[in-house]
Amino acid sequence: MEASKEQASKDYADFKEKVRRTIYLDQLSPQVTTPVIKAALAQCANVVNVEFIVNYTIPYDVPSAALVELDDDMQAKAAVELMTDFPFIIGGMPRPVKATHAKAEMFRDRPPCPGLKKEFRWVKQGDDECETMKKLKNLAKKQESENMALIKNLLDEEKELAKQQQEALDANCKKYEMLDLVMQNGAIKNLAHRYGVNLDD
Amino acid sequence: MDGNSENIQFSWGKRRAKGGAKMDTQFYESFTLDNVKYSLYDCVYLFKHGDPEPYIGKIVKIWEQNQAKKVKILWFFLPDEIQKYLKSPVKEKEIFLASGNGIGLADINPLEAVAGKCTVICISKDERNRQPSPQEQAMADYIFYRFFDVNTCTLSEQLPDKIAGLEVNVLLNPKDELVISSPNAANVLLNANVDEDLAATVPPSRSVVKEEESPDAAVPLSQPAVKEVDANPPATVPLVQSVVKKEDQKPVAAIPLSPSMVKKEDKKSVAAIPLSHSAVAGDEKPVALTPPPRSAAAENIPKQRQSQNAHTGERPTKKLKLTQEATVKGTTPATTEKRPLELPSRQADRSKWFKIPWDDRLRIADEQGTLVYIQNLDIQFAAADIEELVREALQLSCIAKPINHPTYDDPNNGKAYAIFKTKNAADVAISKINSGLVVGGRPLYCSKGLLKVPKSSGTLVGHLSLYNFKIGQKQREEQKKAVSTSHCSQPNTIEYDLALDWMLLREKQEKKFEILHKRHKDDRRGFASIGGRIAKAGK
Repeated sequence: MEASKEQASKDYADFKEKVRRTIYLDQLSPQVTTPVIKAALAQCANVVNVEFIVNYTIPYDVPSAALVELDDDMQAKAAVELMTDFPFIIGGMPRPVKATHAKAEMFRDRPPCPGLKKEFRWVKQGDDECETMKKLKNLAKKQESENMALIKNLLDEEKELAKQQQEALDANCKKYEMLDLVMQNGAIKNLAHRYGVNLDD
Repeated sequence: MDGNSENIQFSWGKRRAKGGAKMDTQFYESFTLDNVKYSLYDCVYLFKHGDPEPYIGKIVKIWEQNQAKKVKILWFFLPDEIQKYLKSPVKEKEIFLASGNGIGLADINPLEAVAGKCTVICISKDERNRQPSPQEQAMADYIFYRFFDVNTCTLSEQLPDKIAGLEVNVLLNPKDELVISSPNAANVLLNANVDEDLAATVPPSRSVVKEEESPDAAVPLSQPAVKEVDANPPATVPLVQSVVKKEDQKPVAAIPLSPSMVKKEDKKSVAAIPLSHSAVAGDEKPVALTPPPRSAAAENIPKQRQSQNAHTGERPTKKLKLTQEATVKGTTPATTEKRPLELPSRQADRSKWFKIPWDDRLRIADEQGTLVYIQNLDIQFAAADIEELVREALQLSCIAKPINHPTYDDPNNGKAYAIFKTKNAADVAISKINSGLVVGGRPLYCSKGLLKVPKSSGTLVGHLSLYNFKIGQKQREEQKKAVSTSHCSQPNTIEYDLALDWMLLREKQEKKFEILHKRHKDDRRGFASIGGRIAKAGK
């Protein structure tokens, strides 16, 4: 029994080490794959393992995310700093990725934390507590829907920003295209002549 | 699936008769796949494309025709599959052997579909069945004692005489394990086994030795016989024993067989020579050598065979086959062919088989109604914690995994998927948990099935494209490649400005989440303190 306990705490210590050298990348394109991440981080860290987070709970099309295990916590720190100080772009422009240090609860397969209390009790209809628990349950549900509403709101915001940027970009493109055209078909000479501008200046 | 470069070890075991319309079908009684030996009547797991759930069946025929390796599998049913017809409770680990005639009894599968061995123990009280020891039962993956008639869709505890044209005896517990538990009784039973099929891998030697001690063969035979006996007692653990023996048998059988066979064809009296010969050649493993003399004897000494018959009193029809086999063996030296086989994706399939990806498991569990979505857990709970909790609180076993999204989910509300063994267990768990299970001051709640999550559109909002910008073919290709590039944005580009917009938005969003989650936490804490006070007042 003691041995197994020891083993458990050792496992957890190992796991915590792993957490320390892992970074969490979010707002990734769904097209990003493990080799892409490896190549992207090559300049500051060596990628040991990439675990993509599968979305099971959010009923929206959320960006892809991954836990990226690096060689050590120094590299993890460097990578996170790089990506927070500069807009770091992987596999698409201009939205940068977001990087944070990983936390234990981000891992789906993790050893149980030793010493975590797991006391449970049953409340029955008619207990004093029952009403409170019911209310607490409702609170949890309410909070859950609030959270979902916020997510939806944020995703809409993102869409809005993307739309704006796309419009701006398209307008820019159009402008350059027009300039190109003017240069090509000789209209520029006519214009220069009309306004009395010397093109050679 | 990049298994095309993988060679999976494969070799045939002993041959049986040839058959088929053009005599182009070669039957075998065993084969070795990926270093696991499979014999007739072994129980195996089967992999079927597109269905990651394990099928369980018994190998009842093995053959090769036109380079295609096939096995005929007599099926076992899982309780879920015949739930409609189940009237009485199902024992733990119980499965049902197919019987009767009709669809679903047995199927022919490619040999490569065999994914692994499975221990299935028959606990029928019928006298034809060797009663399993408690250890055997405990070690078994599955047990069975009832038979499901595929024609009438009824369950019966009565052993049918025949299933799929096979005597039921061969489908019950393998008898060779008895050698260990009680060597004396083994002899009798072993004979039955031997007579039925040559596949009886280990045991024949002894019974053969005893029965065929005709004067001329007596001297050389005694030696292997002694060794046989010696070999048996040290093996105390049944499983290990049989495995070891089978392993031993495989390599040796290949070499010495051929000479002995050839010689045996000529004269019966010579039988003694190959035997002694083989005893010398493979002195460490006499077990392997005994089957050939046995079949030879069966072929050449009909009287003796008949006496054997009388002794065991079983199935002359099968005997006929035996002779056939002997002939085949005599003419074709039984050498084990070791062909490296290329079985694409086989390996991948198998690894998946025993470790089906979580995603697939979820989907299957959802279809079967065994998936439960639990909410309001402590986010610190790991998979093992949740499983332990369910075990202690509900006395049910399940496979669970926490599934919170690191970015979007509220850290106050831990979520997990739990897969229960049966639909019933899942339903019970849901109603119990929802009736009022409080864990560390958190009332849990749960629902059934998989949440609907939309499929990813394949693009990220905010990754803009210049699709209406006329660019040349070459440039476009470059751009395509550029999708998988990465860089730090430089401050002198448009991209940098746009990226900064995104970073600003992200900061705002993070703040919003933070505020909301903090408020949630405070709300909860407030509630908990009120709850605590009420509880105290109640006391």
